[in-house]
Amino acid sequence: MDWVFLSELAINGVLTGLLYSLFAIGLVLIYKASSVPNLAQGGLTMVGAYVVLALARDVGLPLWLAIPLAAVVMFGLGFGIERVALRRLAGRPVVMILMLTLGLDIFLRGTTLAIWGGTSRSMELGVSYDPLFLGDIFISRIHLVGAGVALALFVAFMLFFRTRTGIKLRAIADDYMASWSVGISVERGVGLSWALASVVAVAAGVIWGEIQGVDQALSLLLLKGLTVAVLGGLDSILGAVIAGIILGVVENVGADFLDPLVGGGSRELIVAAVLILTVMIRPHGLFGRHDIERV
Amino acid sequence: MQEKVEAQNILSMNSVEVLYDNVILAIKGVSVQVPKGEMIALLGSNGAGKSTTLKAISGLLKAERGRISRGEITFQGTDITEAPAQKRVEMGICHVIEGRRVFEHLTPDENLTAAAPRGMSRSTLNAEKDKIYAYFPRLVERKNSQAGYLSGGEQQMLAIGRALVTQPKLLMLDEPSLGLAPFLVEEIFGILQKINKDEGLSVLLVEQNALAALEIVSQGYLIENGRVVMHGTAEALKSNSDIQEFYLGGGETDFHNVKHYSRRKRWLS
Repeated sequence: MDWVFLSELAINGVLTGLLYSLFAIGLVLIYKASSVPNLAQGGLTMVGAYVVLALARDVGLPLWLAIPLAAVVMFGLGFGIERVALRRLAGRPVVMILMLTLGLDIFLRGTTLAIWGGTSRSMELGVSYDPLFLGDIFISRIHLVGAGVALALFVAFMLFFRTRTGIKLRAIADDYMASWSVGISVERGVGLSWALASVVAVAAGVIWGEIQGVDQALSLLLLKGLTVAVLGGLDSILGAVIAGIILGVVENVGADFLDPLVGGGSRELIVAAVLILTVMIRPHGLFGRHDIERV
Repeated sequence: MQEKVEAQNILSMNSVEVLYDNVILAIKGVSVQVPKGEMIALLGSNGAGKSTTLKAISGLLKAERGRISRGEITFQGTDITEAPAQKRVEMGICHVIEGRRVFEHLTPDENLTAAAPRGMSRSTLNAEKDKIYAYFPRLVERKNSQAGYLSGGEQQMLAIGRALVTQPKLLMLDEPSLGLAPFLVEEIFGILQKINKDEGLSVLLVEQNALAALEIVSQGYLIENGRVVMHGTAEALKSNSDIQEFYLGGGETDFHNVKHYSRRKRWLS
């Protein structure tokens, strides 16, 4: 057993996992306010990356300006989605809203394909590709940066959900009708959660765009992000972070063992197995809230 | 003369008709007046239209795809028939909906915070909370546990406290006694009476438990099948023979049930 290699796999697994968490935090934000898994989060992430590129390349802004500006644009888009599409569905069965987010994902993918085409573009953040050495262990710098962003967002949102606005969002997630009854604007709350999730999508889009290039494949992050969110419990940000780390490590280390046996491609299998087993064994995930039943 | 009456009534509901899904007529021309600073009860059996009446006043009908198809509601002289629910809360109408419905995954303290109106300062909110904890001392020791694990009585107290944070002028309660032990009902009704007296808060109470409700209100309306069939002071209602038989539980034998049915039917027509 090569311990150095194994710890390298594990550490990079943790970092990759945190990048999944970065994506999954967006899913959790929307789930917390509207109890719907947002199937359009992949599309939003891709749009976030394209908007950054459009501002940086096509308009010619520096990246440090293009990224926050893109966050503002996406914040507005998130609110817009609630206003135009979701508001009409308030009070309808969850499955309708789920289908709407699926439609939205397809719409976003189609729109980006029409505007920016299918060729992959690079983000060029300026993070060096030379790996960092920790003893004998290789660590990718961009993964380290992304993991840092994920943790920073995690802390920021943990604090946010203790503020008055954050508490109102959690109240909305608990009970729409009761929220209306005390004058909480459910519509604005759901809009805010979409806006925040769209900002998270910019962060995820920039980091993942740097790693794998900006193209349609960015929207496929949804599958891993959803797995992480489900494992973490869908409405727990802490869960999303821890589940991301778990999935990253299991996937990285597991694939190293399994790939020689099955001849490659076992990563997807591991992700699928985690998703299916979570739903079967622990549907509320690691940290998800249960519906309270008093005896 | 008419204007004088209007000024005394904080809420006035005139021949209001409510349609659900554009077809189902839930209430058929209900008129209810709530004089300022008084406690009024809406009595009636299951499905009579009491909850719908409250939802028409609070604007929560819309969430259930209902709408007011006829009549008008005025609050402090302002027509609110078309106002959105949020606006009505801002104006001072708060509706404690049926079944307690606290925010289960929040603590009681967070439940109160969640209801804070926009722009309420931290110090005002804390003062409101202190006042509410003083009315409901049972909530103090539980204020940082999860609201979903509170007892039924505590949850009802929290739901009322949460409504009080919005600083209502008219508090509407939908079946606050539902599923609670008689001593708790007495305790909660006692507190409601105290709040009504201390702060001049007008209260509109929907109850199936007519016996308990008529002890604390000044007037009552009896609603059957979407219509007001009787209106009077609490004393008058308590001594009415029909009310005694159907709602206060006079000791009748089974044989009389046959008769009940026909008398009930006369009200419906």
